[in-house]
Amino acid sequence: MLTSHIDLGKFRAGEHLQREWGFGGQRKWRDGLLLLAFFFGGVGAGQFLISTLLIKWPLSALIGLLIVLIGKGAAHILYLGRPSRFWRIFFRPQTSWISRGLIFMTIFVIFGALYLAPDLGFDWLPWSSTSATGIVLWIIAAFASLCMMVYDGFLLMSGRSIPSWHNGIIPLLFAIYSLDSGIAITSTLSALSGKIETVAEATYIDTLVLLAVLASLGVYLLSMAGISPAARLSLRDLLRGGVAPFFIGGTIIAGVVVPLILIYLASSISYLELALNLIAVAGILALLGDLFVRHSILKVGYHLSPI
Amino acid sequence: MVIDLRRCIGCGACVMACKVSNGTPPGVFWCRPVWREVGKYPYARIEMIPVSCMQCKDPACQKVCPTGATQIRPDGIVIIDYTKCVGCRYCMIACPYGSRFFLDKERTYFPNYKTPFEEVKYKRFQIGTVTKCDFCIERREVDKLPPACVDVCPTSARYFGDLDDPHSEVSVLIAKERARQLHPEYGTDPSVYYIMG
Repeated sequence: MLTSHIDLGKFRAGEHLQREWGFGGQRKWRDGLLLLAFFFGGVGAGQFLISTLLIKWPLSALIGLLIVLIGKGAAHILYLGRPSRFWRIFFRPQTSWISRGLIFMTIFVIFGALYLAPDLGFDWLPWSSTSATGIVLWIIAAFASLCMMVYDGFLLMSGRSIPSWHNGIIPLLFAIYSLDSGIAITSTLSALSGKIETVAEATYIDTLVLLAVLASLGVYLLSMAGISPAARLSLRDLLRGGVAPFFIGGTIIAGVVVPLILIYLASSISYLELALNLIAVAGILALLGDLFVRHSILKVGYHLSPI
Repeated sequence: MVIDLRRCIGCGACVMACKVSNGTPPGVFWCRPVWREVGKYPYARIEMIPVSCMQCKDPACQKVCPTGATQIRPDGIVIIDYTKCVGCRYCMIACPYGSRFFLDKERTYFPNYKTPFEEVKYKRFQIGTVTKCDFCIERREVDKLPPACVDVCPTSARYFGDLDDPHSEVSVLIAKERARQLHPEYGTDPSVYYIMG
């Protein structure tokens, strides 16, 4: 635990940073696996949803599914202190968001795979992605993917003694970022594989989501200004402290502002190949922004003083 | 439990007694001092408040535990079943009092050497799990003694008893001295009360 001695008006000694989740905890890189699990979960769920809903691209949806299954699954299991007991996590969904998250993930992977299977060579199955059964499978998988996008926000929000996490905007922020990442990775893959035929279709939705990300980040920062001394400490760390390079540089500038500029450039130039490359770069930067925002929020989790 | 801060002299004997009695590894403090500044210059002073697991009646740690490793016994003590804990540390995030500790690896007080004392005491812990104060269950159940921190306090600032019994010493003290819980606004209903100085 790290007690801070910074004078911030009503600051009370005893506020301390959480050091359990995210990089820099007792187990150094291994504690950072939780951050990667949140990141892969958001990216994979977002990619599946966008790939199946907007562009009907089974291969991209499969990549999203694998990001969740392998990336998120492995990161979560390796993060645990006792990985061999992970199966116990299934049994407390009534009160624990970790249990709920694992159940959402399992439903998402199973129903997502069943939905995609006929389009990926398993055409002997008695349903197709457009049949009634296929649509039901998609609805369940899409619902589970939406739950995965918001559950890690609720997970953080449930910590009542960490004001920078116990904030109603967090689940929304994480969900918007998941969508942003889903769009980013899908548009990057589309641009690189030549699947996008017109630049306008890729840039319009990218711009909308990036603006939504910017707005939700603004609301998050404003909401922390007056809550409590611990929240103000978090805000200070985000904007001026050690986390500022990740938050200002990585999240806001590299993750939102630069992609918006690149997308604007892509939509205004007539050379298609260059425009697609700009879209791909913007997508990669937006993905990095997602990783940095989750990292920054985990890093500034100050517990209120226990006394 | 009731802690009378008017009597507490901040000697830290409770912290040491806890470590000796429970044999907790380095860095793990089931009972720990939290310091705060009181008053203004030239009358400012530092005050120590001993904080341990509050044994909440509605504990946040128990609610968030994904495996049911954190349980409430019939007598109200919150315990951890180390055989069920997966080491996710969600409980550490949820606990408003910072009373939980993660055993990331085996740590000894002497480099690369476990004392005979540690050999015995460390048997109860499991690496990769979370640990916390249990109001000295073994002392109370086997030896019929109060928790070590209560027993050792040189100023008798700690009182231990049954909060459900309105005639017990602790219940009477809470009513008479208007003892209060730390952060009642979290709704966890802690079972440790403080008589403020």
